[in-house]
Amino acid sequence: MGYTTGRRPWSSDPPTPAGDEARAVRNKIFYFGLLVVVVFGILTLQLARMQLVNGEKYRLRAETNRLRQVPVMPARGLIYDRDGVPLVENRPAFAAAVVAADVPAGQEMDISLALQDLTGRPASEIEAIIRERKASNDPFTPQVIKENLSNEAAFRLREQLASLPGVRVVVKPVRVYNESVLMSHILGFVGPIDAEEYERLKDSGYQYDDRIGKAGVEYTYESLLRGVAGTRAVETDASGRELRVLGETAAVPGMNVVLSIDVDLQRRVEEFLKAGMGKSLNAAAIVMDVHTGQILAMVSLPNYDSNIFSGEVDQAALAKLSQDPAKPMLNHAISEMYPPGSTFKQITGAAALQEGVANAGTMIYSPGYLDVEDEYIPGKFHRFKDWRSDLGTMNFYRGLAMSSDVYFYYLAGGYVKDGRRVFQGLGPSRLADWARRFGLGEATGIDLPGESEGLVPDPEWKERNVGEPWLLGDTYNFGIGQGYVAATPLQMLLVTAAIANGGDLLIPTVVKELRTADGQPLQLKRQTVKRNLNLDPRNLAIMREAMRQAVADGSAFTAQVRNVTVAGKTGTAEFGERRPDGSYKEHGWFTGFAPFNNPEVAVVVFMEQGNGAGTAAPVAAKILDYYFNQLKVAKGNAGP
Amino acid sequence: MISWRDPRPFDFVLLAAAVALTAYGLVLIYSGTLNTSGGALEEVVRGPVGRQAAFALVGIALCLVISRFDYRFLAQGSAGLYIGLIAALLFVLTIGAQEYGSRRWIEIGDTRVQPSEIGKVIVILALAKYLSDNSERVKDLRVFFTSFAIALVPALLVFAEPDLGSASIFILIWLGMVIMAGADMRHVLGTIGMFVAMAPFALIIVVTDYQRERVSVFLDPARDALGTGFNILQAEISVGSGGLWGKGLTNGTQTQLDYLRTQTTDYVFSVLGEELGFVGAMALFALFIILLFRGLRAAAISQDIFGRMLAVGIVIFILFQAFINIGVNIRLFPVTGIPLPFISQGGSSLITVFIAVGLLESVIVRHRQVTL
Repeated sequence: MGYTTGRRPWSSDPPTPAGDEARAVRNKIFYFGLLVVVVFGILTLQLARMQLVNGEKYRLRAETNRLRQVPVMPARGLIYDRDGVPLVENRPAFAAAVVAADVPAGQEMDISLALQDLTGRPASEIEAIIRERKASNDPFTPQVIKENLSNEAAFRLREQLASLPGVRVVVKPVRVYNESVLMSHILGFVGPIDAEEYERLKDSGYQYDDRIGKAGVEYTYESLLRGVAGTRAVETDASGRELRVLGETAAVPGMNVVLSIDVDLQRRVEEFLKAGMGKSLNAAAIVMDVHTGQILAMVSLPNYDSNIFSGEVDQAALAKLSQDPAKPMLNHAISEMYPPGSTFKQITGAAALQEGVANAGTMIYSPGYLDVEDEYIPGKFHRFKDWRSDLGTMNFYRGLAMSSDVYFYYLAGGYVKDGRRVFQGLGPSRLADWARRFGLGEATGIDLPGESEGLVPDPEWKERNVGEPWLLGDTYNFGIGQGYVAATPLQMLLVTAAIANGGDLLIPTVVKELRTADGQPLQLKRQTVKRNLNLDPRNLAIMREAMRQAVADGSAFTAQVRNVTVAGKTGTAEFGERRPDGSYKEHGWFTGFAPFNNPEVAVVVFMEQGNGAGTAAPVAAKILDYYFNQLKVAKGNAGP
Repeated sequence: MISWRDPRPFDFVLLAAAVALTAYGLVLIYSGTLNTSGGALEEVVRGPVGRQAAFALVGIALCLVISRFDYRFLAQGSAGLYIGLIAALLFVLTIGAQEYGSRRWIEIGDTRVQPSEIGKVIVILALAKYLSDNSERVKDLRVFFTSFAIALVPALLVFAEPDLGSASIFILIWLGMVIMAGADMRHVLGTIGMFVAMAPFALIIVVTDYQRERVSVFLDPARDALGTGFNILQAEISVGSGGLWGKGLTNGTQTQLDYLRTQTTDYVFSVLGEELGFVGAMALFALFIILLFRGLRAAAISQDIFGRMLAVGIVIFILFQAFINIGVNIRLFPVTGIPLPFISQGGSSLITVFIAVGLLESVIVRHRQVTL
């Protein structure tokens, strides 16, 4: 017995529905049945639309969900000196990275804070990166937060990965330079890709957090050093874990670059230059093969340390570099133009010979100055001084060897005495024309970034830029490499090389050859000559002989080297504001080649605030002495 | 005494449909948790599948007990149950457990009870009692509004949790039952009209940011593609990519690679859609339609108004829970967090629907009694 049987007084006991009412109830229940059918009908229609009509579209989206293309980064090419000395390595290092898509919404700050503890990077920065990446169209590629983690930090991070969704420890090689200071201006460095570069290069396989060559060879040869990224198709779960590799195209490692630089020579050049530059703010020196244009050494002082850009940039060191008045980041051998001073006489001399303005026997007397009547005020004279007053009467050889300014005033501007033209000079237009033919006023085309073009003035240029007419004095100054003309040390070196090699203006290079990653040399079809200057070989011989005499018993005697005959030209170029005593600050130049009979190498030495014979030429002598009497001997006279 | 061999017309088809739906759910939960359980039998039994199966056994047992029970006895207790429900909902609102931004649970040990689930059955009982007691005066505005208040109070309380889905289920249950009771259709339509007119204001004033965000993300999931919108998009992709036959049980990439979230509760239907396709969904719909028609049959054959009200309320309850849950999965509705009856993982919901089935059986079993 229980409450489940029988009638109970508390049970409601309605009357049996009468006919009408029963029908109304059945009707309503019928409508409820209809409601059930309609509800499931709606669901069925929507399902059919999604699964049957648009099923293919959704299947595709499910596939794109599951499959990810993961880039496989190529190993960056290595760089060697001409004898195979490795100058850079890719050192494996751990980096903390974040896959923004896998960081759960709302946890960005928690994860950023945890990463701050582990990496030291401010959480606000990390959070900003995560949010930015989430909003981007590729939130799946790991974004490096901190490179170059210590092994201990990487280990601690690995242990905590489970509680940090989206965080990864990735192996990211760091570029480490072996001769990071000595070679800084040639090697350059790699740095994080900036927004503009990324926008331009993202279709060429560059990643958001990629590194890219920013200076030097790393910049110029970026596309070859970089290699080609591969891709790996992987199946990933929603938290980005790679479950299965479904296919892979291998990355092609970057090319190796063999520089034309001899690192031993480079080291000695730096050493000599450093010792010789004294209090000069900057100094630069280049040694080049006069036939191939291959640079054997190129030093610009002060230099910097390429390694401060490896991994995390050392901001303090960078700030110090950018505030240094000596501009250590600038390659003064190619990026800064200076008045070339008397080294320009190579161009004035060669032009005068070729244009028939002078020949080897042209005799000119220097009383130590030249007085020129003012072009507007009759009776007023301007005095153009020679650097010495005891030079006397000189032929062409002596004029160049002693670097007589008066001699070259004549060649450049001619001379009018008492209303009578006693000498017909080149004039500014022909001089400017020859300066340009010798490569001044245009980039040399060297495979390093940041070249200065220099400046070749002419009357039109002066009118336009200074707003004054060209005067005879301007021609005189031009002829001795003063006034407006300006050139880089490399440009002056190419002038000397052209005289040495028979008139070819070379295109210089710092690279000897390219090799594939497995060491196969690549045939490089490089244009070594920009143009031939069409100089009469006899005139070139006169130039070379004059330059030999300059070193042998002329103004450049401090460039003499035992066992080797050197030919060259010094320059001491005035610059800046005139001092109260009428003097100027001076740059010191020397440019020359050796051996005289069979030229192999040309060398240029430049010193900001120096003296041609006093400070520049002795450094050149040391360089050439080392090159011919030690390096070449050690290498068994193999030559460059 | 409860006699287990009962000659009276227990509806086996109804129970079979309920058990089949539950089994279907277990299979989907098994697939949905495969990547955490690994598929090992021991892990499966100890994991959500085993837990759900245990809840199912409790539910079936309760169902059988209740079916032996005279539902009219419960009518007497409905007022007490109702007061208890309101107290429980107030309790949840003040100190309930919070998850996904809302308070819906009471924690008892490590078990969470969601009172709004059983609350739906309690409201059905209370409404059935009130409407059957006042069946003569149901066209009176006073009776009409009193019945409305019975549903509205718990609806507002769950709305504040916030649980817009369950709140609308309370209102829909009332609507179905009051229509069944024979209310004046002008009153019904007037109330519906009032709701529609108030909706824009409600969206601005009453609805919380959380709900507004859910609605706006529903309209444009891409605006938060990796947050709230992620689930909506992934569910849509899951269901759509299933096609006619589905990718095969345990072979759904969306489900198995974790793209689908809350894949055993809110989005369990997406697992079905992806892995068993349109055909699998039709099978599910068929089981629901059988179950709901057996429920309507109970209403039809019930010999008293209370039983009829009860049966209709339960049918409305299960129908709209299923409608809203599946509708969320296939982008007909914004996310509401309503479980799919019998299928979704969760004890409160499963036991509640089995109690409901038990009540239907009770109505069916007793329909001839009065004629004895």
